[in-house]
Amino acid sequence: MSEVAVRPSPGALLRLTLLIQRRALLWWMLAIAVTALLLAALYPSVRDSGASFQDYVDQMPEALKQIFGVDFTSPDGYLWSQLFSSIGPIAFLVYAIGAGARGIAGEEESGTLDVVLSTPLRRRTVVRDKALAMIAGVALLTIVLFVVLWVSGPPLDLTVGIEHLAAVHILQALLAIGFGMIALAIGAATGRRGLALGVTSAIAILSYLVWALGSTVDALAPVEPLSPFRWFGEPQPLADGTTWRNVVVLAAIPLFAYLVARVTFDRRDLGSG
Amino acid sequence: MIEADHLTHAYGATRGIEDLSFSVRRGEVFGYLGPNGAGKTTTIRTMLDLIRPTSGAVRIFGLDARRDAPRIHTHVGFLPGDLTLYERLTGQEYLRAFASFRGNGIPWERVDALAARLRLDLGRRIRSLSHGNRQKVGLLQAFMHEPRLLILDEPTQGLDPLVQQEFAAMLDETRARGGTTFLSSHVLPEVERVCDRVAIIREGRLITVSDVEELKTHALRWLELHFDRPVGAESFASLASVERAEQHGDRVRLTVRGPLDEVIKEAARHNVVNVVSEEASLEDIFLTLYRDGSEGVTAP
Repeated sequence: MSEVAVRPSPGALLRLTLLIQRRALLWWMLAIAVTALLLAALYPSVRDSGASFQDYVDQMPEALKQIFGVDFTSPDGYLWSQLFSSIGPIAFLVYAIGAGARGIAGEEESGTLDVVLSTPLRRRTVVRDKALAMIAGVALLTIVLFVVLWVSGPPLDLTVGIEHLAAVHILQALLAIGFGMIALAIGAATGRRGLALGVTSAIAILSYLVWALGSTVDALAPVEPLSPFRWFGEPQPLADGTTWRNVVVLAAIPLFAYLVARVTFDRRDLGSG
Repeated sequence: MIEADHLTHAYGATRGIEDLSFSVRRGEVFGYLGPNGAGKTTTIRTMLDLIRPTSGAVRIFGLDARRDAPRIHTHVGFLPGDLTLYERLTGQEYLRAFASFRGNGIPWERVDALAARLRLDLGRRIRSLSHGNRQKVGLLQAFMHEPRLLILDEPTQGLDPLVQQEFAAMLDETRARGGTTFLSSHVLPEVERVCDRVAIIREGRLITVSDVEELKTHALRWLELHFDRPVGAESFASLASVERAEQHGDRVRLTVRGPLDEVIKEAARHNVVNVVSEEASLEDIFLTLYRDGSEGVTAP
């Protein structure tokens, strides 16, 4: 037969994936916007009760100070301690890991992948579009958070320099995309969504703990550079900005995971759903 | 069209397929018949490069099923046996997505026309569709680009008889434009109705490939004749086509191989109240095939 393969229209599976997720993604955007607004709205009262808050901070264990910082009342200290040192990355990781695990393994387990792969779509195109869909979701959530904080800042005196605000958003997005891609890769290599979710979450919790305890527990110091969270949080990006080195390290994680997904998925017998 | 060459896929100890060789000719409807768990879906998934052969190979359109998958899939339409769809989409959104996987070259009037034939409302969410209607979405997905090769795994599951007729007409049209169909099933009547040739597999091995007509002539049939008074079984037992005859009061139970003509003529000598006929089950056919294939060996 002389004909060549029909080319799928570019990003066809990416569009389908976003179409399926559109409602969930809207809810995520809404939840993040509301949370960010609430946090911002509470800032004036926290700042005004500054002294008593500082007493509370002084009593915290060293490890917690290390994570949340010691300054809760300046704009950057407030945003870091209340948002970006904990629930911010946690929410973004939950979204990204879920999307990554669902991307390939979820579709393989439910059985929808068989029909998708009976079309001219190549397996590596599936990996690419599923990765892009997860990245697109994280990017959308990042933009929502950034815009809400940027716009609500001035009226509430919660202003942080745009470079530092952008830095923390970019690092957080890269961190989430890294773990999302690890979940995608485990799912691509095994076809098991639960495994991808579980193992990736365990890695995430472990690396969070290593970072949190690394500065107080000497034994952990040598492994601290292995924790992606360390490259997210040190230097504290809202106060001090970040370095290209941090960006490169956090970008290298998803890149490596992506290549693993691409190679392993291409070589494997797919489960029968 | 399809050449399976000593195709083997080991799947642990029990499931899988072993040393399958057969070929499907251009333009035919090829039935792939076997009980559940015989390896039908495994064969199909190997043809689609979803799983890879442990040894042997499949060639489709003369191309290697694995290396040339995108080229082959351009001209293949597939309906899985265990169809799962994206619940949150409408039929329209689902089919548009699959059209985009195929380069968006499908005239949409054709899709609408097919949907109308099958009486499927494409505007409804898949979540709200019955099993039969989901199956129609799957059929549309497989037929909408008028592929050269249809690979259908148990396609008529859950379809009502009217839709089954429409489906048979769609297969005829596929044949008329030179398309080939590979259709798996675990029920003989379905295969008899639409197929030209049939391969029979059991426990992962190919038992035979034969014309459907031939299969019908040799097939066993189970027949119960109900008379208005007791009739002896002996006059039936002596007929060449009758393998076994038993009398139960005013009923005679027969196992017949091949045409029923002699039996009906013999029965017509009495007053017939009712006739109950049953197609031989797959198991019966296997038993016959085994006996035919191993003459001189007595079945246990």
